[in-house]
Amino acid sequence: MGIEQLRLSVKLGGASGDGGGERISGQRVGQPRKSPSAPSFHDKMYASRNTSEPVLPNHVPALNSSNSADNASLNDADASLSVINLYGDEVESRRADDGALQSPEEVLSDDPGLSSTPFGQRSSNSATDGPDLDRYGFKKQNNFITEKEYNRWWRDYSQYCVRRKHKWKLLLEKSGFPIDNDSPYRFPPRSEKLKRYVRKGIPAEWRGNAWWHFARGQEKLNKNKGVYDTLLSKMDELIRKKKVVADLDIIERDLNRTFPDNMHFQREAFQTEEPPMIKSLRRVLVAFSLYNPKIGYCQSMNFLAGLLLLFMDEERTFWMLVIITSKYLPGVHNVNLEGVNVDQGVLMLCVKEYLPEFWRFIVPFQNQTGSDSSPNSSPSLGKNEFLYKLPPITLCTASWFMSCFVGVLPVESTLRVWDCLFYEESNFLFKACLAILKLSEQELIKARSLKLLRHHSISDGGDYNKREIQLNQDETEMEIFQVIQTFPKRMLNPNDMFDKVIFKKRIPLNRLDQDEVDRCRKYVAAQRLKYKNYHELIGTSNRTNESGLNGSIINSGDRDDTKHSGLGSEENADAAAFDFNDDRTASDFVNNALSSEVYGFKRGLSGVHWNNSIKEKVRQMRKRKVSSNDQLMKN
Amino acid sequence: MSGTRPGKSLTKYKIVFLGEQGVGKTSLITRFMYDTFDDHYQATIGIDFLSKTMYLDDKTIRLQLWDTAGQERFRSLIPSYIRDSRVAIVVYDITKKKSFEFIDKWIEDVKNERGEENVILCIVGNKSDLADERQVSTEEGEAKAKLLGAKIFMETSTKAGHNVKNLFKKIAKSLPEFQEGQHAGALEGDNSNEVGKKEANGSGVIDITTTEDQAQGGGCQC
Repeated sequence: MGIEQLRLSVKLGGASGDGGGERISGQRVGQPRKSPSAPSFHDKMYASRNTSEPVLPNHVPALNSSNSADNASLNDADASLSVINLYGDEVESRRADDGALQSPEEVLSDDPGLSSTPFGQRSSNSATDGPDLDRYGFKKQNNFITEKEYNRWWRDYSQYCVRRKHKWKLLLEKSGFPIDNDSPYRFPPRSEKLKRYVRKGIPAEWRGNAWWHFARGQEKLNKNKGVYDTLLSKMDELIRKKKVVADLDIIERDLNRTFPDNMHFQREAFQTEEPPMIKSLRRVLVAFSLYNPKIGYCQSMNFLAGLLLLFMDEERTFWMLVIITSKYLPGVHNVNLEGVNVDQGVLMLCVKEYLPEFWRFIVPFQNQTGSDSSPNSSPSLGKNEFLYKLPPITLCTASWFMSCFVGVLPVESTLRVWDCLFYEESNFLFKACLAILKLSEQELIKARSLKLLRHHSISDGGDYNKREIQLNQDETEMEIFQVIQTFPKRMLNPNDMFDKVIFKKRIPLNRLDQDEVDRCRKYVAAQRLKYKNYHELIGTSNRTNESGLNGSIINSGDRDDTKHSGLGSEENADAAAFDFNDDRTASDFVNNALSSEVYGFKRGLSGVHWNNSIKEKVRQMRKRKVSSNDQLMKN
Repeated sequence: MSGTRPGKSLTKYKIVFLGEQGVGKTSLITRFMYDTFDDHYQATIGIDFLSKTMYLDDKTIRLQLWDTAGQERFRSLIPSYIRDSRVAIVVYDITKKKSFEFIDKWIEDVKNERGEENVILCIVGNKSDLADERQVSTEEGEAKAKLLGAKIFMETSTKAGHNVKNLFKKIAKSLPEFQEGQHAGALEGDNSNEVGKKEANGSGVIDITTTEDQAQGGGCQC
């Protein structure tokens, strides 16, 4: 089987590492592992490679050989530990046995010290058994979540994971797929059922294989056999010749800033050699920058590659990175970051469509200033202007896309999103964003009402002067920004997002599908391009124009929900563009022309919604009937 | 809650942090906010926002700190955040000449967005604890600050906690004056850290953490 072959081998070639390989591998063999429990999850991944055939000759194995030596000594002992580490229930029992770690009382005790010192405990515990680390080697505690909160949540969630894994096992057995070594590499064909299983979470130990499978990594790799090797030798050559390559330097500076809170990525004081994970990360990122010079290296890719490396080997990580940056997030990491801007435009359109209440927060003063004559007091509210002058909030959400929620959501939640991303494609990223925004609405309302209390109590007549509105506008933006920035970091329980939003079919945002996202991306990209072209044509790039333009748009024309064929207005604009002497009028015109093409979401039949709710009601009535009948019967 | 506007004394100032990747922008903010330091911070993607209240004379001000990603390609995303910032802090790493050369670009961005008059420009040379690896001298830094019209120049060490509080005090102190009719003259010319420090301590700045700040007076443990 292809996949079997592709697992990086360890033994072969380890001794024959060439210059680059040697230098990289160093003498890590037998280095003491800090935590016997934390790395076991990962070691298992490495261990699984040992059994397979080699693919990469020189460089990588050089690394892996040291690793395998590491594993050889650990795996025997670790084989059982890995399970312990993965599921908290067993952790609890083991703790009880040990007696030395944390007693339940301690976990529950109200220790202010736990939460008050988010920083600076780097090495406090890592030399011991590391109960402060999660199953992937991340610190449980961070600025937003205390260890206590984590442990409390994990107690239930680990049970959930055990249950889900059991179901997955049954599913695979029923479908006739082997689960050898707890590392299945074939999965049932796509179906609603499988989708549901994926949404409820792929077992952590299977994730590497499952992602690889769903993202069609193998196909990509089969078409590009040997490419990764070649890239690595190129990299060695560059380094040997000491060529100055910009990306290399930039990558270098981010290596140690990738998951400093993860034991696999951090270097303890006593270590002279950098962790193998950092070396792998370097190779993957440099190889990628050589493979795709259009992107090169973009900050945030270090997090993508870093997380992948916790679940799969280097070569697969590399190809997954290629797939993510081309298939799921096209253009997002390009030098001009246009892809990320396009996606923010798409997200804004989606918010407007699916979360109209939330849209009010983003363009909050529409009603107050929309029709009056205070043009400078509010942000651009033109029909489409937010597509090229993206609302401030999008710089927060931009990072959600760039790193696919790594560092945005807590790791278990991130992984659940990744499960779905690779199964359902990029529309799920948008869904996840929308779900997060929807869930954060309550927080925003809280923050908002506090502020309104403070401010509106004074100026009741609504007689804001411009400056006040401007101030409030700024403040609102900050507030939203802060809430949106912080909220996802506290979303410890992934099931919140799924149970409260994603699994609720009747919530409109769940209508969003890949087709819609693709269409929407095209539309936004075209709009942004047109806008840019017009502006270059007219030569209005200075700021005074833009601010003038902000307000004028508000008054321009009525909302037009039908989708015009852009052609007519385009021609008009082309013809007229040259006639304008007044820049501002020209900008107005451009915006009018552009915003007359409004994106039309697929709405489906309006009745379908209705029927669904009726269906649901009928179902509930029936249920009630049945249960009451049952009771009658019993009685 | 009636009569005067209660929010009035809580003036908000937007401060944007710029500078090449890895020079210590996040670290500077973290030192200021929590007085802690880690060897490595996660790379900042996009923009992070934090706010902190400071006390100055009898006024309370709220500082809104915008931490930005340093990689060059992110520069295109950031202008809108510079646009209405009161203060722009451009950070470089004294052990990396290139990061020092890079500040011109950031300053240019700021001037383009804000105009020189409307923003307090600060240039900060970070990592002053790494004296052995120094590639940019204090004098060079000062000269450049003067040349680019930066009102505040300081060398800091976020690791040692050196000069960080002072930097923010200095900034805070310059804010209201700045607002009330551009007494910019008072702000200029005191580029020396020592002078800045004395002034800051002597003024009515009541930071919550003043005590520990005095400890820093002798502070640079390098």
